[in-house]
Amino acid sequence: MNYFQIFGFASQFELDVHKLADIYQTLQKKVHPDKFAHASSQEQLVAVKKSTLINDAYQTLKNPLMRAQYLLELRESDQPNEQASFSDNSFLMRQMELHEMLDDVKHANDHEAAILAYAEVLNIGFQGLAVEMHAHLDENTIQSNLLAGNNLRKLKFYQKLRVDLDKLEDQLFNDE
Amino acid sequence: MAYSEKVIDHYENPRNVGSMDKNDPQVATGMVGAPACGDVMKLQLKINADGIIEDAKFKTYGCGSAIASSSLVTEWVKGKSIDEAATIKNTAIAEELALPPVKIHCSILAEDAIKAAIEDYRTKTA
Repeated sequence: MNYFQIFGFASQFELDVHKLADIYQTLQKKVHPDKFAHASSQEQLVAVKKSTLINDAYQTLKNPLMRAQYLLELRESDQPNEQASFSDNSFLMRQMELHEMLDDVKHANDHEAAILAYAEVLNIGFQGLAVEMHAHLDENTIQSNLLAGNNLRKLKFYQKLRVDLDKLEDQLFNDE
Repeated sequence: MAYSEKVIDHYENPRNVGSMDKNDPQVATGMVGAPACGDVMKLQLKINADGIIEDAKFKTYGCGSAIASSSLVTEWVKGKSIDEAATIKNTAIAEELALPPVKIHCSILAEDAIKAAIEDYRTKTA
């Protein structure tokens, strides 16, 4: 049973996260250790394993990037190594620019405004790629899955910058 | 994970950081990166009419090993012909910096940056 099937969902990107959370609670109650307090150690072990699986499935599916990654793995899409270098020059230029912009945020006079403006730039970039990836995943051909993987690697980069921005924000405002 | 002394030295005192005008016909630019891990490396070479690399600059956003690998490469390529520079192997970079196995990809990125810059030069001069 794959992660989608555990929750009774079709194996596709589109997913109702509220429904996912509801089903997750229901499933976890069924395998809660309290229910197995008087069961055999064998049954307890099975319950723990199920609970772990349900939890892994939930954590993967609720995060859109992890869900996309998992879906591509299920489809056995042949993706390049994440550490392999990448020759999409325009995106590399964009990466360089986005890093430089983050450096500028550090040295801005008005940190709060600079952080907000940068977060908005990241948001726009992220949303655009997310829409593209969704469409490619829905198309579900060998070629479109490769393109979805390409979108996903770029999305991970945006997510990483988002984390870097949060760290910078903590630093800037803790020093003041 | 501990960095080697050589990595720390290049990281703390990176050589040849900076940019050159990418539109200068003598300047070759190599951009490489691995988007998911966020590393991006720009290597620029100033190549004279005899095909000798007169100057090299880099700008890298990445971990200490990625910065050290690109810094080392700028030192190595200066004074070399582009054909000699093209023979620099990631294994030599990794060995010089004593990179641990998990950081070998940083040296590969630096080798790819040299190749990308030479490719850019050949396209420009073709």
